[in-house]
Amino acid sequence: MELKYGFISTDDHVQEHPEVWTSRMSKQKWGDRVPHVETQDNGAQLWVIGNVPQDLTVTAVANAKTANGALAPTRWDELPLAAYNASERLKVMDADGVDYSVLYPIVAGLAGERFGKIADADLELACVQAYNDWLIEEWASVSSRFVAQCIVPIWPMERTVAEIRRAVALGHKGVVYPASPMELKDVPHINEPVYDPLWAVCAELEVPLCFHSGASPKIQMRAGEAFAPAAALAFGAVVRSVSSIAVLANFLFSRVLYRFPKLKVVFAESSLGWGAYEMEYADYQSAADGLQSEEYSIKPSELFQRQCFFTCWYDQKSLRVRKYPGSGNILWSTNFPLETLAGHATRNSVFAEVPEEEKRQIQWKNAAKLYGL
Amino acid sequence: MEIKFGLISSDSHGQLGKDAYTSRMSAQKWGDRIPHIVEVHDERFSFPVERWAVSGEIQGGNVCNCPTAMKERGYYPQRWEEVPSEVYDPVQRLKALDRDRVDAEVLFPNGPGATFFYDDVAFELDCVRAYNDALAEFHRMSDRFIPLAAVPYMSPIDTIVKEIERAVQAGHKGINMLADPSTAVKGLKNLGDNFWHPLWRTCQELGVGVHLHASAGLAGKLSLPQWQGYTRRQAHCVSTLRNFCTATQIVPYLIFSGILERFPRLNWVFAETGLGWVSSVLEACDHEWEKHHLWTEGIVTRPSELFRRQIYVDFWFETVGIELREYIGVDRILWESDFPHITSTYPHSWDAVEHSLRGVSAGDREKVLFRNAARLYRLE
Repeated sequence: MELKYGFISTDDHVQEHPEVWTSRMSKQKWGDRVPHVETQDNGAQLWVIGNVPQDLTVTAVANAKTANGALAPTRWDELPLAAYNASERLKVMDADGVDYSVLYPIVAGLAGERFGKIADADLELACVQAYNDWLIEEWASVSSRFVAQCIVPIWPMERTVAEIRRAVALGHKGVVYPASPMELKDVPHINEPVYDPLWAVCAELEVPLCFHSGASPKIQMRAGEAFAPAAALAFGAVVRSVSSIAVLANFLFSRVLYRFPKLKVVFAESSLGWGAYEMEYADYQSAADGLQSEEYSIKPSELFQRQCFFTCWYDQKSLRVRKYPGSGNILWSTNFPLETLAGHATRNSVFAEVPEEEKRQIQWKNAAKLYGL
Repeated sequence: MEIKFGLISSDSHGQLGKDAYTSRMSAQKWGDRIPHIVEVHDERFSFPVERWAVSGEIQGGNVCNCPTAMKERGYYPQRWEEVPSEVYDPVQRLKALDRDRVDAEVLFPNGPGATFFYDDVAFELDCVRAYNDALAEFHRMSDRFIPLAAVPYMSPIDTIVKEIERAVQAGHKGINMLADPSTAVKGLKNLGDNFWHPLWRTCQELGVGVHLHASAGLAGKLSLPQWQGYTRRQAHCVSTLRNFCTATQIVPYLIFSGILERFPRLNWVFAETGLGWVSSVLEACDHEWEKHHLWTEGIVTRPSELFRRQIYVDFWFETVGIELREYIGVDRILWESDFPHITSTYPHSWDAVEHSLRGVSAGDREKVLFRNAARLYRLE
């Protein structure tokens, strides 16, 4: 591993370009169900996935040259090149002082949830594999500074596990899995032991399992009609990250961490402050409810410290309570190219008062160890 | 009101007596629908148990949610005679306050009282009036009780406003509100809807705050499907733990919907949510406010300043939020005991206080323990 800047961004996103799937999936076999971009009569473009139209970028993209002051890009040519082109992305990383960048999807869902909704399991798998292949071919192969993470078919587990093995063999270093698969498809609750092969394979291959915020739109309040459009976007970004509170509440008590002590779990785009509080609350409430007598012998906060990570990008004030998860359990990121991104100027001010060794841990050491760089 | 101990609980639960509704509602008009206690069979118990029945519906797994007031802490009474009188009798309850060395307590409901959704506007209104009258009796007995009024959600807005005015006249010091009425009953409006503006205006003019308690009705909505594999205790722990998720979304909702800007003197109080999440949510709101230039969209004031102008939050066990207090705003923090619920600090509230406030200056201690509450509820 080579470090020039001393920073690994652990939560960035690739914008999948219009040929990712059309160039890799059989038109003959899948016809119009291959994810592709369509242009409407008004000139605006949309993704069509399994015949269902989706926003072009799913979320606002920073530095997009949107026409007419639109909030999110509606045409492909409005997108900055660095959103979808690896060589251009490297230039942005150099300008911002980023050594390595851990990649999450956009069109495939910020939390890798999009294809889980497809009813046809073969189509789901084909879409997933095309993404995973593309990420290696056009990103990881261009530079080792890109840390690829695979998405997976959410069910059945044999397919999930097989794709993880295939992807990790190709060079993927993390696994993105939606935290609430039972809301995407008629599958068992994620706490059920039938998911054990997923946890087991990640532990065996030593790749982190990543729950990115936003996997479950149902647990995010919607902006009402009273909201100005820009205010609705801001609101959406805030509630996306805190919606992981419910995910963490469940996961800490699901016993998955007990059963798989070598499994590492990343809560991506989580932020830190509420997490420190939730850990203290979990310790307090589980004691009040008497869970020690029900074989919860390890405090929730200790389980988290043993196996989990929060991912942050601008939370200066929350760093003050970093001792709760511990500096060894915090990752930093830029969130490029989402509009919520925060670059080196933010980093410099955020870490101004953090001791050098802890700063190194949070800015690169934890990530280097976690991803085996 | 005399401050003797220097501690006010901003979130406790006032249990009404078993005749509270039957003595106030017309038997001729409502008959058996009036909230009252009935004997029923529960397979978990070998003896006939008692439950509250409202409009024919049997409520909950106990007759009174007061496990920390019981001799055997953690036991939920199954028959009314098991319920300690200091939970529902205001005279006796003052003794519990003295024992815990608490000066005053804000009363949220216990048992029937938060909502009365039985598809009947007139029935709901009569229940709400009976609840508000019965709870006002606590306050009449002692000003150490600070009651919060229930809202007749299904009534027309002018009826709602009239009931709140009536309740405040009778001694109520705030209203207890659902975070999103539209998810509770079809046809009700969401919190951001103009429908509620006359209510906000009235509360602002009367100087009473709008209170949201724990998940404020969204517990089952803003959470993953509950896993059936949890035991009762585990399910309780997980569902309690995620309750503050609502507050982390409603605070941004109040900010970005423009409600706070539109009603700049109206206070909002978040009970049983804790504090530790606040600074990160405010950082997030400020971050997005700057990214999206929302001062050009009617949100003129920086979100963290809006918070410190109009929102209060409660804590009871934590240290995280106390360490972050300067970013939350020391003037916006309240303490709560949550008596008599399972998470309550009763009867050792001062131990919890000392645990949380280690190293906090005397001035800040006084603010969070009673001065902020005294100001908010205008205790003289």
